[in-house]
Amino acid sequence: MRKYSESIMKIVFLVTACVSIIAVILICVFLFASGVPAIKEIGFTDFLFGTSWKPGQDLYGIFPMIIGSVYVTAGAIIIGVPIGLLCAVFMARYCPKGLYKVLKPAVDLLAGIPSIVYGFFGLMVIVPLVQDTLGGSGKCLFTSAVLLGIMILPTIINVSESNIRAVPEYYYEGSLALGATRERSIFRAVLPAARMGILAGIILGIGRAIGETMAVVMVCGNQAIMPQGITMGVRTLTANIVLEMGYASGLHREALIATAVVLFVFILIINLSFTALKRRAD
Amino acid sequence: MKKNKLAKILTFGLAAVMALSLASCGGGSDENADSEGGDITVISREEGSGTRDAFVELTGIMQDDVDRTIDTAEISNSTSVVTQSVAGNEAAIGYISMGSLDDSVKALKIGGVEATVDNVKSGDYALQRPFNIVTKGEVKELPQDFINFIMSAEGQGIIEEEGYISTDENAASYEAAGLEGSITLAGSTSVAPVMEVLADEYKKLNDGVTIEIQQTGSGAGIQSTIEGVCDIGMASRALEDEEAGEGLESQEIALDGIAVIVNNNNTAEDITLEQIMQIYTGEITAWSEIQ
Repeated sequence: MRKYSESIMKIVFLVTACVSIIAVILICVFLFASGVPAIKEIGFTDFLFGTSWKPGQDLYGIFPMIIGSVYVTAGAIIIGVPIGLLCAVFMARYCPKGLYKVLKPAVDLLAGIPSIVYGFFGLMVIVPLVQDTLGGSGKCLFTSAVLLGIMILPTIINVSESNIRAVPEYYYEGSLALGATRERSIFRAVLPAARMGILAGIILGIGRAIGETMAVVMVCGNQAIMPQGITMGVRTLTANIVLEMGYASGLHREALIATAVVLFVFILIINLSFTALKRRAD
Repeated sequence: MKKNKLAKILTFGLAAVMALSLASCGGGSDENADSEGGDITVISREEGSGTRDAFVELTGIMQDDVDRTIDTAEISNSTSVVTQSVAGNEAAIGYISMGSLDDSVKALKIGGVEATVDNVKSGDYALQRPFNIVTKGEVKELPQDFINFIMSAEGQGIIEEEGYISTDENAASYEAAGLEGSITLAGSTSVAPVMEVLADEYKKLNDGVTIEIQQTGSGAGIQSTIEGVCDIGMASRALEDEEAGEGLESQEIALDGIAVIVNNNNTAEDITLEQIMQIYTGEITAWSEIQ
């Protein structure tokens, strides 16, 4: 009897494991099956490196969106990483216990806020602020980068903090014993030891930033042109898909799915490098 | 000593960052001062939106099947974001469905004609378009009853109350048929708000009916109707040829004006179709050119 129940449970576990894997495979198959023919029809170089996106005239070049995604993500990293990393150092090393009890849930809450709420916050608060200080319409590369920089904070803080905490205490104590100050011990002994983990956190942050849609679409201006400055509008890959999916038909629709394929490849590269780093870190 | 060095580096870094941000702020506001804050921020809808299709066609932005909207136009994918963007930017111009117009923005007169229901009805207001519902083949009893309600005196009355223009002024009044079941509608985000109200009123008259309205956009709504996913599709534009070939039938349920909106602090009151076209194609870039 017991033997039976054991083998039945084994099958149950196998099935549940398969469901998630099958989901990934199905998404891959769907994306590539409907996206690749469109890329072929448009032409590989025309699609990836074409600089005009005008579906009305059958021009489907997504290069401005690729560059837009890369710029916005890079901006988010420039803004988010220093803040996130120093915050993680503070939380792991300097934070008084009482404050930590407030800070930790606050960071977790930041991660739980739906992206559409971030979008509204951006539209109502950051956009007018940027409009007043930098000029222009306020919906621009800079605004998107700031908003995404805030959104990736929890990812970077949480991963970095746990990795800093995982560094054996004798690194820190040894450094102190050699006469280094507290700051020097943390920044020169503990942080380098945790660098692989921190880098993994940053890569996760990049993944979140490049895949973010609803918040960005509300503050980035969505012009399908090459970004011309940090106060000018951009359109990201995700924004391109969500903006036009509702109305598109025919080749336009397939071109949007092909855009998703490009995005998927980006995410794939990011996740693979995350896995590779993780392996090296361990 | 070491601590001092760290503090020094930090201070230096902070100072550098502040100087940089100050410099960039300064640069930004200078630029703003040069143009006297008069540069027009053009806001449009996404390619394929029913409102955009109608707008570019009516204003002549669309010429020889080419949509000439300038590349630098800001793109928003919903009426509420357009309104919010215009309300928050004194130099902005945008366009939305007249039924969605509120006090947060100002609607411009087109060639001296105000954007009102009466002017759309009389045909004086140039920017207007039909709201359509789309069905495929033989319509089931319940959806047909709902369509009857929309086209009845009651339904058309609701359309008028919501700020749109009814298509049939002498419609017969509706009598509840006492049917039960569910209806699914999908399509245009411009049509959906008035459809929600129609659905609510219909449900009050018919207890056993549930109505689901999906706001997916005109194209997707028509697609769902072709595939049989929804009973009735909503479109804020006429059917395209390849869609009409699928055995669809469309029916006009209302007329809607497209309001050209600017910020409440904008001094402009009146604009011509020609000027709208020039703004959206980039020939006019400053508000001072509109007088």
